[in-house]
Amino acid sequence: MGLAILFGLFALGLIVGMPVAFALGLATVGGFLYEGLPLFIGFQRILSGISVFSLLAIPFFIFAGELMMQGGIAARLVRLAASAVGFMRGGLGVVNVASSMLFGGISGSAVADTSALGSILVPVMKEKGYDADYAVNVTVTSSVAGVVIPPSHNMILYAVAAGGVSVSNLFIAGILPGILMCVILGIVAWAIAVRRGYPGEPFPGFRQLAISFVVAIPGLMTAIIIVGGVLSGVMTVTESGAFGAIWAMLVTTLVYRELSWEKFKLAVVAAVRTTALVMILVATASSFAYLLALYRVPDLLASSVTLISDNPIVILLLLNVILLLLGMIMDMAALILICTPIFLPVVKDLGMDPLQFGVILMMNLGLGLCTPPVGACLFVGCVVGGIRIDQAVRTILPFYAAIIVALLLVTYVPFFSMYLPNLMD
Amino acid sequence: MQIADERQTRSPAFRALDALARVCMAVAGAQLVTLIVIFGWLVWGRYVLNDTPTWVEQLALVLVVWITFLGGAVGVWTNAHLSVDFLRAAMPAPVGRVLHWLALVGMLIFSLALAVYGGQLMLDTWGRRIPMLGIAEGVRAMPMAICGVLSTLFTLFQMSELAQGRGPLQG
Amino acid sequence: ESWRGWNIHPEDYPNGVALDAFADMVAERTEGRIEPEVYHNAVLGDQPDAIEQLRNGGLDFANFNMGPMGEIVPATNVLSLPFLFTDIDNMHEVMDGEIGDRFADALAEEGIIALSWFDSGARSFYNTDHPIATPADMEGLKFRVMNNDLYVQMVDELGGNATPMAYSEVYQSLRTGVIDGAENNWPSFDTSNHFEVAGYYSNTNHLILPECICISADTWEGVSDEDKEIVTQAALEAAEQQRELWAASSEESRQKVLDAGVEVNEVDDPAAFQDAMQPIYTKFIEANPDLESYIDDIRATQQD
Ligand code: NA
Ligand code: NA
Repeated sequence: MGLAILFGLFALGLIVGMPVAFALGLATVGGFLYEGLPLFIGFQRILSGISVFSLLAIPFFIFAGELMMQGGIAARLVRLAASAVGFMRGGLGVVNVASSMLFGGISGSAVADTSALGSILVPVMKEKGYDADYAVNVTVTSSVAGVVIPPSHNMILYAVAAGGVSVSNLFIAGILPGILMCVILGIVAWAIAVRRGYPGEPFPGFRQLAISFVVAIPGLMTAIIIVGGVLSGVMTVTESGAFGAIWAMLVTTLVYRELSWEKFKLAVVAAVRTTALVMILVATASSFAYLLALYRVPDLLASSVTLISDNPIVILLLLNVILLLLGMIMDMAALILICTPIFLPVVKDLGMDPLQFGVILMMNLGLGLCTPPVGACLFVGCVVGGIRIDQAVRTILPFYAAIIVALLLVTYVPFFSMYLPNLMD
Repeated sequence: MQIADERQTRSPAFRALDALARVCMAVAGAQLVTLIVIFGWLVWGRYVLNDTPTWVEQLALVLVVWITFLGGAVGVWTNAHLSVDFLRAAMPAPVGRVLHWLALVGMLIFSLALAVYGGQLMLDTWGRRIPMLGIAEGVRAMPMAICGVLSTLFTLFQMSELAQGRGPLQG
Repeated sequence: ESWRGWNIHPEDYPNGVALDAFADMVAERTEGRIEPEVYHNAVLGDQPDAIEQLRNGGLDFANFNMGPMGEIVPATNVLSLPFLFTDIDNMHEVMDGEIGDRFADALAEEGIIALSWFDSGARSFYNTDHPIATPADMEGLKFRVMNNDLYVQMVDELGGNATPMAYSEVYQSLRTGVIDGAENNWPSFDTSNHFEVAGYYSNTNHLILPECICISADTWEGVSDEDKEIVTQAALEAAEQQRELWAASSEESRQKVLDAGVEVNEVDDPAAFQDAMQPIYTKFIEANPDLESYIDDIRATQQD
């Protein structure tokens, strides 16, 4: 009964259009009142939920991403990608995917990826005769790389929710799946471009390629500092995040000289806003999770899943379908926080490593960012491309298929997510 | 914020609340920059001076709570919080209106609870010190109470807007 | 009546096993009048939150470590003083006796009824560089400590660089030299895998923190005298079991890290470490004159 009240109130809050964080909070209040527990505990959980050391890296990654966007790093990464792979048929489509891979290595956010790269690339693509729907589809789906390729603040959320999963190992685990996904997306983008007869760009020559590369180096250094700092272990994840943000600030003001005071303020405001939206979710979700633990929901689910089937392949497929459906209607951060404590024990029982599940979760929910009815990346992409959501979605299926193929490979072939982490040990 | 709409800029209530939201954003922005600077100092102290500033970690945890709740309050004002609104949008207008009212009532309840229990937590823990910082533990809970009070005000304003037949502000 | 219990450790840990045993004993002997249920793994929050929950009706019982208790019950800060006890037996002797009752009284004033004392072993320093035999060996090394001024002062007085850090960051930081060492008991040194990266464990035994089985005062008030007797007896038996399991698990961990090639050493002159703590004790007594008697009485048990 308590559980019904908890989930019922939550669902009701969502249906009437309350902010997800407030709906979680309200449902928790209802749960506490029903159980006769002192309400202050719920609010204590809200506060402790965000007083967590690992979460400190989140504002840093978000801020670094905003600085990259405002300060011209993103534009230089695109130019590098264009010099390198722009000559292929449908070159700009492939450039788009490659830029996402580079940008994904610095920004932890798919939405930042869509708006930063989309606002640079989509207008250019339209001008060169690419259809708007194609430009938007490529931009939106390849932005999922931002979540899977490290660093990624969503991975930090997962590590915290999973309790005791190492963030740096998780980062390492995301590298190959992120690349795999981009390669498959690149192939799809290329194939569609060929069929639609989009041209390639003339190859600018190795000299120009070298110049683009040199110009992009200070920007790429941000990635090397953040990811390299974590992987080499010179710094902790949090320290690397702070250092990356400081570096991005220095490069964009001193080297690229594009970060004016106005743009700096824009970056700060955007970073505060995103940080607050994510962290408020973390806060109320941890209060919600207190009641889930009290009702022993993870145990209940783990035992009922095994009733449905004891075939790991079937269970994993089922989990993927559930996550995909949830991802379609809800935002990523909230789902990570709610689903991790519930589903992780199930996959652990199947012998899956929490790292692999983390990557699977990122890809599933990342895909959800690109789907209607709720898809932050899709929304941003359509705004940037000046088309309606239904126009974009009509031709997006092959791109979804590319991500799903990558997802299935990562689900059933542990190699992709586990090879690098095992190598590190 | 950038939600200024002709008809609303004229209302004194709007201007007052908008000013409050701007102050919150300015404070939270300064706190974000502080957060980065003190972490730079931590790295410098640990690697270069071999004398780790022991207060950074604890101060950073407090700052994040402040940024979250101040930014969260601003998010209520600008309607920036993540929500699932396609269902409400898909409903016929009168039904959508009822749902919108319910959503605002739900937000009002939770905002009031945040204010009351945030305040209680703050007072309860005021006598305890945050380890390594020496400041009152209650400082950590304070932004939660502030966020509760502000979201209550912001939500009440949105209710009055809705009562006058105006749609939600867009952030 | 069903009781909610808090435990920070996994259920197969000595504390988890003993708490489950406590729950079973109570349920059986009260013939179901009280049915305790333990929530392991800190799923209901960390210790500072759990203490508040226990004092406000969210929890009925818990297994608390006396380290983070000092914020609520200042007297228990005495137990966080470095090199207070000579060894674990000394701690048992003190806590099971009259001094332990005084700590229990101080806890009771804040609504926490301590029924029996668990063991959390002795904490010692380990590092990646060399054995620590004298305070001089600490010089210049970065040690991770828990967030408590007393522990920071301890490392500073010994000449090291105290670095408060989240526990989850320690492994990676040891591996890569962000810090040089940390301090903990045998089972934690083992299960955290820190022994893989920190090859020197030095038996300083500088912190021997007791833990309690504590009941909420509100809950306790509603228990009949007969059942109080049963619950107390069960708590004492659980503590006995926990101490045995703890000793066994410490020994098992010690053996395991020795087999893994960790170099373990005893300190040459424990008194040199204790002497270095004098400024901390002086400062502590200045700030808390009423707690001096606790320290004196504990020292008196160590005279022979
Ligand atoms: Na990323
Ligand atoms: Na979606």
